[in-house]
Amino acid sequence: MSEIISQYFDFNIMGDHFGQVLDGFWFTIKLSIVGGVLSLIWGLVLSLFRQLPGKAAIPLRILSIAYIDVFRGIPLLLIMLLISGSLPFLPLPDSIAIPQWFGQPDPFWYAVMAITITYGAYMAEVYRAGIEAVPAGQTEAARSLGMSHSQAMRYVIVPQAIRKVIPPLLNDFIALMKDTTLASAIALNEVALVGRDIQSETFNSSALTLGAIMFLVVTLPLARLVDYMIKRQQRRVSRGGGGDDEGEPAGQVAGPLPQAGV
Amino acid sequence: MATMETAQAAAGTDGAMVRLEGVHKRFGTLEVLRGIDLAIDKGQVVCLLGPSGSGKSTLLRCINLLEPPSAGRILLEGKEITGKDAEEGADYVRKRVGMVFQQFNLFPHKCAIDNVCIAQEKVLDRKSDEAQTKAKELLNRVGLEDKMDEFPDRLSGGQQQRVAIARALAMDPRVMLFDEVTSALDPELVKEVLDVMRELAREGMTMVVVTHEIGFAREVGDQVVFMDQGVVVEQGPPAQVLDNPREERTKKFLGLVLEH
Repeated sequence: MSEIISQYFDFNIMGDHFGQVLDGFWFTIKLSIVGGVLSLIWGLVLSLFRQLPGKAAIPLRILSIAYIDVFRGIPLLLIMLLISGSLPFLPLPDSIAIPQWFGQPDPFWYAVMAITITYGAYMAEVYRAGIEAVPAGQTEAARSLGMSHSQAMRYVIVPQAIRKVIPPLLNDFIALMKDTTLASAIALNEVALVGRDIQSETFNSSALTLGAIMFLVVTLPLARLVDYMIKRQQRRVSRGGGGDDEGEPAGQVAGPLPQAGV
Repeated sequence: MATMETAQAAAGTDGAMVRLEGVHKRFGTLEVLRGIDLAIDKGQVVCLLGPSGSGKSTLLRCINLLEPPSAGRILLEGKEITGKDAEEGADYVRKRVGMVFQQFNLFPHKCAIDNVCIAQEKVLDRKSDEAQTKAKELLNRVGLEDKMDEFPDRLSGGQQQRVAIARALAMDPRVMLFDEVTSALDPELVKEVLDVMRELAREGMTMVVVTHEIGFAREVGDQVVFMDQGVVVEQGPPAQVLDNPREERTKKFLGLVLEH
């Protein structure tokens, strides 16, 4: 028993290497935020391409569907290896082939690219579900007022869709955050790689345990937050709110149906 | 066909606000409209009655091209808006034809006044204060001066529907389409919406109203059109269609509606 405890919970090792592990986790945070924001934007762009109406947009629709299917079907780790292993050898200017933007090392940016490519595809599917969950009457009302497709999307549909998809997007963000550890395979000194180096130095896993604890400090509250938001939406549905969140006095959203007693 | 002649005589052959000629609408193999001819004169209130599935809502949605007709022509103020000869497209039509829906379809993420302003600003390029002034005036008119900043989920069905009417009126439409606008309302809320529509009719708005409110059709309608299975069965002034229907199907329908 004490072997198990000392193997995973050696506080001396944790204390000695706390700064190193925290530095690694700082990469994790930066990678999650930059990759997360770019995935959110890229996913929305993809889902909007996918929703374009009319014959003229058929190529864009097919391209976006193909992209989403392909990159949901390839492991993120492979994408990272494909980018980091070959981008430096492609005929590109150095600033793109070996990016060092904002003082971050090139593996950081390779990881950002791979995460954006992959999670953009995941998030596009989440957005699509949200857009399709907005009642058709909303589009009809917007169109009947003379709005174009893009105006209806921008002012009516997407604002409602985003409120609906915040919880599933947050779930994807938690998954994305955990997947940043894959960047250890392309030599980014994030928490998994730092932990492994310490592990092979000390023959003890406590530094990795420490990294796991740091993850939990962030992911547990996020998971609770998602749960809370979903519960709140369900409460609104059972009140006849039509599946939107908010709508408490401080909020502002409701479904299209009339509500009894308000 | 006698009924059609009366309608055309009443509407006048020229200068109809909306004219439908042989309008068909198919969804796959299902033919929902099977040749509709109709003329709606400026300032007229035309009430469409009929059993569910008779095609009256589809007809209404054809007029603002939410459902483009499969065949036939629709003219708005003499301009063809359908088919290859269309002089003007859907955007032109929808700027001139307002629509109010059974389920209100207010934008739930915007408060009452913003619901009325958004299309004015984005479609008609009105300045924000101009749109606000117009919205306030219209919300006043529908009796909601104290609900301007409320979000739709804080409004009753009747109030939501009146906001929806104000939202459509804000675009200065030539014609207003009403698609069973009181069907989703609690009985005690129906009157406040019908009152607004009555007032609109009195001010001379051209209106096409799909409704089950026979009393409203009788009182406000200039023309009553009875539809069944995608065709116009009978049309004419309310006194004629509602009180002395000639067609069996009309009699049967009115019997069912008026019985309860």
